[in-house]
This record gives sequence, structure tokens and C-alpha cells, in this order.
Amino acid sequence: MRANRTRASCALALVLTLGGTLTGCGGDGGGPGGKVRLQFTWWGNPDRAARTEKAVKLFERRHPDIDITTSFAGFDTYLAKLATQAAGGDAPDVMQLDYRQINQYATSGILLDLGEHPELRSSEIDRGLLATGAVDGKQYALPAARGTETVAYDAALWRKAGVPAPTRSWTWDDWSDAMRKLSAAKTSQGRVGSIDPGQSEDVFEIWLRGQGKSLYTKDEKLGFTEDDLTRYWEWSNGLRKQGAVSPAEQTTLMDGTVENTPLGRQKAIADFNWDAPVSGYEAIVGKGLKMAPMPVGEDGTAGQYFKPSMFFGASAKTAHPKQAAQFIDFLLNDKEAGAILGATRGIPANDTIRQDVLPKLEGFDQVISTYQKQFEGKLKDPPPAPPKGDASLQKTFSRDYDQVSYEHMSPREAARDYITEAKAELRQ
Amino acid sequence: MTATATRPPDAAPPATGGRRTPKRERQGAAWVFLSPWVLGAAVLTLLPMAVSLYLSFTDYDMFDAPRWIGFRNYTQMFTEDPRYWRSVITTLTYVVIAVPLQLLLALAVAIALKSVRRGKGFYRSAFYAPSLLGASMSIALVWRAIFNDGGSVDNLLSGMGIDIGGWINKPGWAILSVALLTIWQFGAPMVIFLAGLQQIPAELYEAAAVDGASWWRQFRSITIPMLSPVLFFNLVLQMIQAFQVFTPAFAVSAGRGGPADSTLVYTLYLYDRGFTASHMGYASAMAWALLLAIGVVTAVLFRTSRSWVFYANDNDEGAR
Repeated sequence: MRANRTRASCALALVLTLGGTLTGCGGDGGGPGGKVRLQFTWWGNPDRAARTEKAVKLFERRHPDIDITTSFAGFDTYLAKLATQAAGGDAPDVMQLDYRQINQYATSGILLDLGEHPELRSSEIDRGLLATGAVDGKQYALPAARGTETVAYDAALWRKAGVPAPTRSWTWDDWSDAMRKLSAAKTSQGRVGSIDPGQSEDVFEIWLRGQGKSLYTKDEKLGFTEDDLTRYWEWSNGLRKQGAVSPAEQTTLMDGTVENTPLGRQKAIADFNWDAPVSGYEAIVGKGLKMAPMPVGEDGTAGQYFKPSMFFGASAKTAHPKQAAQFIDFLLNDKEAGAILGATRGIPANDTIRQDVLPKLEGFDQVISTYQKQFEGKLKDPPPAPPKGDASLQKTFSRDYDQVSYEHMSPREAARDYITEAKAELRQ
Repeated sequence: MTATATRPPDAAPPATGGRRTPKRERQGAAWVFLSPWVLGAAVLTLLPMAVSLYLSFTDYDMFDAPRWIGFRNYTQMFTEDPRYWRSVITTLTYVVIAVPLQLLLALAVAIALKSVRRGKGFYRSAFYAPSLLGASMSIALVWRAIFNDGGSVDNLLSGMGIDIGGWINKPGWAILSVALLTIWQFGAPMVIFLAGLQQIPAELYEAAAVDGASWWRQFRSITIPMLSPVLFFNLVLQMIQAFQVFTPAFAVSAGRGGPADSTLVYTLYLYDRGFTASHMGYASAMAWALLLAIGVVTAVLFRTSRSWVFYANDNDEGAR
């Protein structure tokens, strides 16, 4: 009997060991040769991937004792994957973060308080931007870059249609008139003026701010009413019916890439987007591609703002907080790294790097930089980080508007739907 | 250690233990050999199922600890969430379109292939290939591209004077393109049909031919009854799979279930609730509701099968 039991337990031990190997449950010791290994994850496109890899190589050359493993994905996938990893206590050592994640991740104890690590300098980063990465007075994340919204347009077609060029103080009414004229002009060859603004929560926010309102109030409640949203959707839906903006079948093809916007598909003359991705239109539109400021409210109030386009943060559970801080410092403050990364994450938040990098920017990065310069010191402060629970609301917004543009719901019905779901998500 | 584990059980009978030891030892060895699968099933299937059952009664956002809320997720799902019911209807529409058409196509091709004399192997592989490829994300992405506005299917149809202007951007057409992707993968049920057809004794057809039965008559009175167990098997299998359709709907709508929620199938909405909105409790409740629903539909199918599935060799089954 005893021999039997020993034999069985031996076999069991063997099986368990094997099982451990199979599921990759090995300990996460140091890398080969006692190297410190850091995992760095981010979202982005191939251009950002190439430049990031180059910067990482430079860091590894300077720190032969640190080995950095990188991985990247598209935005939606990245968010879902990171949330799952973080919930499982397995967040990467260094991660790129979105504005909407900071609040949730900081209050759930996933992020390291970077303020405690002197290796990471923040003195050259704009104060206002820096504050957007702090929660309860602790610096959980540092802004890498800033972006602002824009109207990207094909200036050649615009001129041919004989429509006056956009100005810095054009209002939403001016914009609507321009779209109507553009779509009616023979020279436009059937193209509409613009993407339907009704599908974009980002554009809605700028529109709201132009009227002195906001998406969320300071105490994390909705900053607008059903009436506001109904008014916005009635306006955009009216333009759609007049053929001034894209039809539902074109609007619904939007998938986050510039190629699948109506402008990217050569079905429209203008588009709303953040400034950094606009360079993607260049290959499609050519040299005529230009950027105009977002329209302002009736009384001239500008709704657009400088938004931290993304942050870097470190995991509270990292085994190497010092090295993680060193790496983030390198990405944000090192001149050589700044030169390699350029404006691939947006115009750098670091003042010195910005002065240094801007004149050397090539191609479309230079256009974006000039575009941002006209707003320097003239825009209102960015809104505080969106509250917990807002993660899915951007999708809900375009989904509800889909129901309007396919004429399954009236603007008011869809607005009521959105407000109900938003309140449930924000747990109000 | 390895030697111990793999030694035949009767090689060294222990001194004590009497008559029953060999049998117990044999059982022990059986469990040892089974253990990778038993452990795998317990740790990777049963445990997660138990956890998800627990989570379905909680409010869990993946960051804060789960909070027990009883049946709240279920009542919200059934009474307060119009999108939930839209996703149920979308899924049912999809199942009702895709499964019968796929089986019909599989059966038709299997019957055609049965009488092919040369190159049977080639045709069989060619028709089976989509089933191997179809489940992958890459094919689904290709599907999105060819059914897009300006994609090859759209251009081909426009060339023939049928101007739809893209399938994936029209409610109604979009779910059809998802269903077509499934129907296109008729290879797996086809192979099973083919095997079933070859089991039907040729004497039956010969006898029927002698009696002057037409092709249609033979098909109705011999092929269908003799094939009914295989048909039933394929129906249950494909239906269970169809209820869980995810990849094609995800890829064709770029993860959004659009246009206007028309491709928001059940599992896509489940994914959306769980991984985009971080409502893991709600998503778990949805998963359990789906499991129960599939169970009920399968049970109903089994009940009705008594009246139409014909087991010719019922008596032979006991032989082995």
C-alpha cells in the first residue's frame, strides 16, 4: 500500500510539474546574464512602431543591463487586453495610457506613484498638461504629447467650388453653409462636404464647449441634457438629409483608420480628426491637404483644447520601479529619443524637446506643429479626466446616432437612449 | 520517477494488499494517465465555469472586488435592455438563415460528389478547404474587404447591373454577408454527409430501380431516411456553433456590430459588455443565459428527432 501511495504521489508530482511548464507558470526571474527585463506595451500604427523600436534600441545600448520587451496593438484591442492583464495583476512594467484610463487605473492601485522616483524628471513638461496625469495629488502618469482637433480638408476642391476658405473664427453656422455649398458645387463631382459630425462624441464635445458647457461636470456627472444632444443630432441629421454631409452608409464604415473615413474614401471634401492622425490623409489627398481650426460657438467661444494625447505609466507591481522610471524619463526627456520619436505620438509635451524637435520635423509633422502654434496660450484648459465608467460611452454615442442616420429612431429617441445608458454607466 | 510511473502494474505486486490490489493498481495507473486531461478539464474548464456562474450574480468591473447583487444582472438583461433583445433577434435570424442553407448546400454537394468518378479526392479537399480557413480572423477580414463598398463582390454585381453599393454598410445586407461566410464553410458537414451516403447499402437503390422508382422517389424514400441520423448530427452540431458565432460578425463590422446594430450577434454584445464596458458580471450572466438557451433548443431537437430520425441498424449497435 505504501509503495503504491508513493508511486502515485511521485506520478502526480511529475504531472503537476509538466503542467506548470505547459501553462508557462515559470517564475519571472531576471533575464539572461542577470539583466533586468522590462515589458513595455502601447497602441499605434506601423510608423509609431518603427520609431519606438528605434528609440528602445538606443536605450538598451545605453543601459546594457536593461532588456526591454515591447508589444503593440490597435487601440480597441489594446484597451481590452490591458484591462484584462491589469485585473489579473499582470500589468506590463511600462504602459502607454489613454486619458480615459488614468482615473480608473490610479484609483484601483494598478499604477505606480511616479512622483516618488527622482530618476523621472518632469520639470520641462507643461504644468497644465502634467496635472492631467495626477490623481489625488499623486503623479501616476506623465503626458507624452498633446493633440488638438482639426478640420482636415482638400484645399484644391474647396477652392474650385468657390467657397471662402475657413478662418480662425468661423462658427458652426459658417461651417454648415460651407458644407452645403461644397456638396452642391459641380466641381465636387458628387462628393459631400464632410463626414457627418453626429457620429463623433469628440466633435460633440467641442460643439458643447463652444456654448460654455462640457461633457462632464467637475463632480463627474453628465454636463449636458437630453435637449442639448437632441439639438445637436437634429442639426447634423438635417445636414445629412440635405446631402451636405456623408450618408449613413458611408458614416458607418468609420473604423478608426483614416483610410475608411469619407475623406479617405474620396467621398467627402473635409473631415474632423485629431491633428496627429491627419498625416495619414496625405497619401490619399496629396499636397492640397490643409488643416483648419474647429468652428467656434455663436459668441466666438472656442471649444477646442489641447488634450494630452497619451500618457506613460508604470505598474505598481513592477519588480524594477527604478528602471521603469528611467525608461519613461528617457522616452519623455532625452533629446536623442525626442529626435527619433518626432511627432509620432503628437507634439511632445516636454517644452525643451518641443523647441528642439519642432524645427527639425519633416514632412507633415511640420504642418501639424505650425497648426498647433497658432493656439499657443489661447485655448481654455482641458477638461478633467473623464470619470470611471465612461469607457464604453464613445461607442454608445456613435451607435445611437447610427439609429438616427438609418432613420430607425428620431434624434430625441436616440438622445433619450444615450442619456439613460450614460447615467447607468456612470452609476448615477 | 518515470520508470515508476510507466512500469506495468502487475510487474511488482506489493507483498501486502491481498487479492484486490492488482485491480486497484490498475485503476490508479488509469487515473495517473488520465490526470493531464482530468486536471485540464478541472482547472481550465470547470473552475472558470464555476467562477463565471458566481460572477453572473455580481457587479464586477475587473478592478474592484465583485459585489453580490443577486439576480439583478438577469432582471436587467430580460426587462431593461433593448439591445439585449435586439442581439437575440439578430442571432436567431442568423441561425435560421445560415444553418439550413449550409446543410442544404453540404448535402447537395455531397450527393453530387458521390457519383463523381474521377478526381473525387481533389473535389473533396477543394470543398473542404474553406472549413479549415473559415474560422480564422484573416478570412473574415478578407470578407469585409470584398463585401465593402467598392469591394470585388460589389463591383461584380454593379457590372451586372445590380447596384447595392456595399453589403457591410447596409442593415439587412450586413448580416447576410456574415451568414454567407458560414454557408461557404459547408465542407465539414459535407464530409460527414459523404461518409453517411456511402454507408447506405447499394441493394436498396437497386431494388428501388427495379421497381421503377424515380430519382426523386429514391431520394425521398431511401436517401433521406437512411441519412437522417447523420442529418440530425450535423444539424445539432452546426446549430450549436451558429448560436456562438463571433469572429465573422466581429470582423465584418470592425468590432462594432454595426450598421445600426444589425450584426450585433449575441456573443459580440457579450464581448462588448465584458471587455469594452467592463461589466464582467453582466457578461457572465449573458453567457449562462446563452448556455441554457442552447441546451433547451438542443433538447427540443432531440425530442422531435424521435419522429423523423430513423436508425436502421438499431439492433446491430448492441454487438459492439
